[in-house]
Amino acid sequence: MSKSTAAANGHSLWQKMPKANAELFALTYGTLVTELVRDYESTEDINEQLEKMGYSIGVRCVDEFLAKADQAGMVIPPCRAFAETAEVMAKTGFRMFLGVSAEVQMISDSSFSLLIYENPLSLFVELPSDPKWKDLKYSNLYCGILRGSLEQVNLRVECTFVKDVLQGDDVNEIRVDLKEVLVDGAGEEYQEE
Amino acid sequence: RPPLSIFLLLPPCLGNREHNNRIMGFLSLFIVNKSGGLIHHRPLGPNAPQIGTNEWLTIGSTFHSLHAIAAEASPLRLPGNKNPYGADDGIEEIHAGGLVLQCFQTRTGVKFVVTAEPGTPDMEYVLKEIYVLYTDCALKDPFYELEMPIRCELFTQAVDNLIERVEKNGPPRR
Repeated sequence: MSKSTAAANGHSLWQKMPKANAELFALTYGTLVTELVRDYESTEDINEQLEKMGYSIGVRCVDEFLAKADQAGMVIPPCRAFAETAEVMAKTGFRMFLGVSAEVQMISDSSFSLLIYENPLSLFVELPSDPKWKDLKYSNLYCGILRGSLEQVNLRVECTFVKDVLQGDDVNEIRVDLKEVLVDGAGEEYQEE
Repeated sequence: RPPLSIFLLLPPCLGNREHNNRIMGFLSLFIVNKSGGLIHHRPLGPNAPQIGTNEWLTIGSTFHSLHAIAAEASPLRLPGNKNPYGADDGIEEIHAGGLVLQCFQTRTGVKFVVTAEPGTPDMEYVLKEIYVLYTDCALKDPFYELEMPIRCELFTQAVDNLIERVEKNGPPRR
């Protein structure tokens, strides 16, 4: 699927989605993170919890993406390479759910970086300059979402935040590594020996 | 490649309802999860047969296995047993004397299966719409666990409304 088709699809799907107030969304997320900060001691644990929450969101998002794209008459062909998966996620998926697209930078055949310039989750957010917050991955939810959604289509990946605007970098960068292509169970039992 | 269809000879059932000159007759819906377990079943019309819960569970898992076996037994094997859409290859339609069964396999492994009286139009449209309803009503329900039986009032209500709407008006013309 070409980059421009992916982007056009993303934009079109975004138009059809019901919208929520961006500020409400950002503030709600902020409250969520604040609660986690109160509940957990280490930033490791907070990051892990955010990732887990993202995972449960991700497993549900992908069906919505596929169903609505189908309903809109768009053809999202099966990806022939991981690079295509990356493009579809960045241009169509992100755009559909968040209204912002991301850029893809392929690192190898089985890993890429997703660059997010505008992050709707971190609107109004500033992290305190205390060194203990250096390792907090505020938007770690995204990593979970990516992992969850790809798992539903049989790709096991690991996602980590490598650059964060809230920590002083100029862009948010998520590194996605493909670990394994999972094989569905059903057919195996019936295969000829 | 033509859809993987199976033609069976079964005794025809009596009469088709007609409504606004359209031959009606959705019978049942059932949904099977990735592992073959039945997660939902619902009668869609007055002619739907009365099937007990245990029987439904058997139907669900049997269909799941047959779907997979069909891909293995097919004379035309696709690479990885995946169809061009990207989902697992398998039974798409079954035409019998008094019944048409159509299955929509999603790329995430969920099967939506609808049965109807022969001649019922718009089955494919209904299947795709039910998938959207599944994503909007069941998946977004925070209490719904993936792969578990769907017990969402919103979902069942929406399915009923969909069938009612399609039977009255047909799918929206694009």
